[in-house]
Amino acid sequence: MNEVPVTLWVNGQTYAVRVSPRKLLSDVIREDIGLTGTHVGCEHGVCGACTVWVDDRPTRSCLMFAIQAEGHAVTTIEALAQHGQLNVLQQALHEEHGLQCGFCTPGIVMTMEAYLHEHPNPTVDDIRDALSGNLCRCTGYQNIVAGVQKAARVFAQNSSGATSAAGNESTHLSEGGREYV
Amino acid sequence: MAEEFASAPHFVGARIPRTEDSRLLRGEAQYLDDIQIPNLLEMAFVRSPYAAARILSVDSSAAWNIPGVRAVFTFADMPFVLPQNGPSPIDQPVLARERVRHAGEAVVAVVAESRYIAEDACEAVHVAYTPEEPVLDMQAAQKDRPRRVHDAAPNVFYHQEYETEGFQAAFDTAPHRLTMTFQTTRQTACSLETRGIIAAADPFSGRMTVYCGTQSPHRLRGDLAEMLQMEEHLLRVIVPEVGGAFGMKAATYPEYLAVVQAARLLRQPVKWTADRVESFLSDVHARDDIHDLEVAFDQRGQIIAVKDHLMADGGAYASYPFSGAIGETSLAAKVITGPYDIAHLSTVIDCTYSNKVPLGAYRGVWGPVASFVQEGMVDRIAQFLHLDAAEVRRTNLVQPNQLPYRNAAGMLYDSGSFTESFEHALAQLDYTRWRATQEQARRVGKYLGIGLSNFVEPTAMASSEAGSIGYESCSVRVEPSGTVTAWLGLGPSGQGHETTMAQVLADQLGVDLEHIVVLHGDTDAAPLGGGTGGSRSGPLGGGAAMQAGRKMRERLDVYAAHMLEAAVEDIAWEHGRAHVRGVYARHVSLRDIARIAYNDVRQIPSGLPIGLEVTERYQPPRPVSFSNGTHAAVVEVNPSTGQVTVLDYVVVNDCGTLINPLIVEGQIHGGVAQGVGAALLESLVYDDSGQLLTTTLMDYLLPSAPLVPRMRIEHLVTPSDGALGVKGMGEGSLIASPAAIAGAVNDALSPWGVSFERLPIAPRDIVTSLGRSSAAPV
Ligand code: FES
Ligand code: FES
Repeated sequence: MNEVPVTLWVNGQTYAVRVSPRKLLSDVIREDIGLTGTHVGCEHGVCGACTVWVDDRPTRSCLMFAIQAEGHAVTTIEALAQHGQLNVLQQALHEEHGLQCGFCTPGIVMTMEAYLHEHPNPTVDDIRDALSGNLCRCTGYQNIVAGVQKAARVFAQNSSGATSAAGNESTHLSEGGREYV
Repeated sequence: MAEEFASAPHFVGARIPRTEDSRLLRGEAQYLDDIQIPNLLEMAFVRSPYAAARILSVDSSAAWNIPGVRAVFTFADMPFVLPQNGPSPIDQPVLARERVRHAGEAVVAVVAESRYIAEDACEAVHVAYTPEEPVLDMQAAQKDRPRRVHDAAPNVFYHQEYETEGFQAAFDTAPHRLTMTFQTTRQTACSLETRGIIAAADPFSGRMTVYCGTQSPHRLRGDLAEMLQMEEHLLRVIVPEVGGAFGMKAATYPEYLAVVQAARLLRQPVKWTADRVESFLSDVHARDDIHDLEVAFDQRGQIIAVKDHLMADGGAYASYPFSGAIGETSLAAKVITGPYDIAHLSTVIDCTYSNKVPLGAYRGVWGPVASFVQEGMVDRIAQFLHLDAAEVRRTNLVQPNQLPYRNAAGMLYDSGSFTESFEHALAQLDYTRWRATQEQARRVGKYLGIGLSNFVEPTAMASSEAGSIGYESCSVRVEPSGTVTAWLGLGPSGQGHETTMAQVLADQLGVDLEHIVVLHGDTDAAPLGGGTGGSRSGPLGGGAAMQAGRKMRERLDVYAAHMLEAAVEDIAWEHGRAHVRGVYARHVSLRDIARIAYNDVRQIPSGLPIGLEVTERYQPPRPVSFSNGTHAAVVEVNPSTGQVTVLDYVVVNDCGTLINPLIVEGQIHGGVAQGVGAALLESLVYDDSGQLLTTTLMDYLLPSAPLVPRMRIEHLVTPSDGALGVKGMGEGSLIASPAAIAGAVNDALSPWGVSFERLPIAPRDIVTSLGRSSAAPV
């Protein structure tokens, strides 16, 4: 199949590549640009491992052709840790043991980082809903949720110094299961 | 056990976040498909569209004509097999030989410059088949109906019988008997990273380097050498980062042989990575068990005798080296009585071939079904006698004064906390309160259920899906600068061994964690070991690390004593420094010792060798050590939609000494989530022609975050008599949880008199059976 020239803007850098029009954005990011932090778990839009940002919106790079990304800003997991320092969410996931094999992790970080920017005070149920499009086979999600809660608290403290709703939720929930009737 | 440590244990038992995390969080870790090698070719497979067929012809001429295609292989080009010795005499060919025996079996391998081209070429290969009638029902298959899967062998490839003495009399004279049939459908590990392999000749040494996300690097090297007739020392297996394995990546697969052989023939690096559809069609499947059960008991619910016909559908071939069907049944038969004191047992096992994907290992192997059977049976007895489910469990649990306890199948439970973990779980859950809530809720038309699951988990066994090496190995080198490098023969996939093994070593050596690096998964560097599987890495790998660390420390003590002019017994270590006990001022650093050991060797105390390197192998004192615990779940079932919501989930877990509670809890969380999947969602469905209908994540449903409950975990610690008192714990959570969830669903539906004996219990099943049930809810 004929290759076409595409100019992609990834993590603030410009890449001029020649790819076949049918080549997925995920494959081009991984193979042609060489950023392999974006993982492919299903290639049919279910697992969320391939999540990147296209113009700051979490997007499944396995459901897009690379040529469709021309003219848009693509951000991948590699852009999040500045100078090798984990960012707040990454650090919180580390502290709370929110990852095991780590294969789902980049997609989860990209999804939840964007989510926290728009929803600074999520409840536990909000976080679980926001995570519902990212599959993790290892962690049972509990420590991912804890990590996201912790990151939300840090964000809240950094911006206002006040205790956030997420903080309250966590104290409440750590005492026991859900209340019923 | 304080005397086992150089200093007081600082690291074993501590909740230490993992050293592995940083590279994973930044997206810098290298998984198989991330590895870039110049001139890397990619392989794709033409897979059988039929469950059973004869291959008439293969025409690949059109495929060869596609630019970028380098090779098209059939069995004739690589006539190798995965051999089966022992009970099952049927070999599995690398590529189908004359017949195909399951939909998805690899028939032709295409190698091309890219995966895209290789897949195009696969579509251009024309294979002509004559379909045959597929064997799909395991009970019919036992009678070789509709036919044999392999002409050369009957469908039953494993049959075993066992009975305790006096079984029949005990069974016949018991006051009550009940019959039930438990079943689990096919499920699969479904690690988020699919399988894959790269084979590349090493340009420096001319040897073959194989990258593969396997759980047993040394075993894979041995298997490849044997099956492809290569020299073992000319092969190197490297395990990159592995995105989940769960037993499924322990097997040696036909694709692995095909890739290595292709790289040999083409003299160029070759890679194969499964896409998700291929995963469902070629990763070993799991479970697929039927248990025909009769149980005899008295009026108090005391179980007197259990009779079980265990069946498993092994698929088209016995997966190498571990047949899932044999694992599912033979191990289940050994622990089917769980933590209950049941005197009499009679088991019959039948494993059969079928025209389905081979059955292999998935976390817990025999366990989820055995727990489901054993707890289901207790619940049915409670229902029959109108007794409380907790009370019947109390009546039957092995009591502390019975330990060590030999169960009816002859397995020795070395130690445990069966009654304690059960009572703690009830207290944690607040069982009585939930029972009262359940009553109230029913009056307002809401249906809650409580599920209880007591489990035993045989761990650290000599043989598992990881192979049959009953020991683990660890090499430790103190580097000339005084830092520490350790190698283990493990094949981890997210369990955090780099952290936990370093914790063990840090305590043994009296050095800080950041001065230790733990490496694994490279057969050129790691000492030969069994690998990761069967919940063995903690107890066996940890044992090896402890033993190697201790051996090294003994040598370091002699150095320190010599240099400080003190007695060896008076040397203590902390933060990489040895001092004379009580006199901190008299100290010498590991760095000073290392300098002498490597560079100033005339100063080495007499009797010690040059350098600071040791390799130790640890074999546990027992063939198996048992972990145990209790899971308790509360669910709400919506009778009109069939939706199940888990309201509360409690785990009491006893795996002996904990190396790192944070990691242990993570393992439990993950196992429970998989148990929720096993109980409510996950099912590989075949149609009547043997087509697998569930080949995407839209059809095979994994639990997502909203469905998985928040778990509360309590640890009990009954140490083993092995190294550090550690027992394995990787599987218990998935062994216990399906039974807890299923039990809770059945309890919720008890007003209808409905009780599910088949997993998973999907919303559709609930709605249908409630609709059919004549009993009106209270
Ligand atoms: S790989 Fe894109 S959603 Fe799974
Ligand atoms: S950590 Fe393994 S899939 Fe999420």
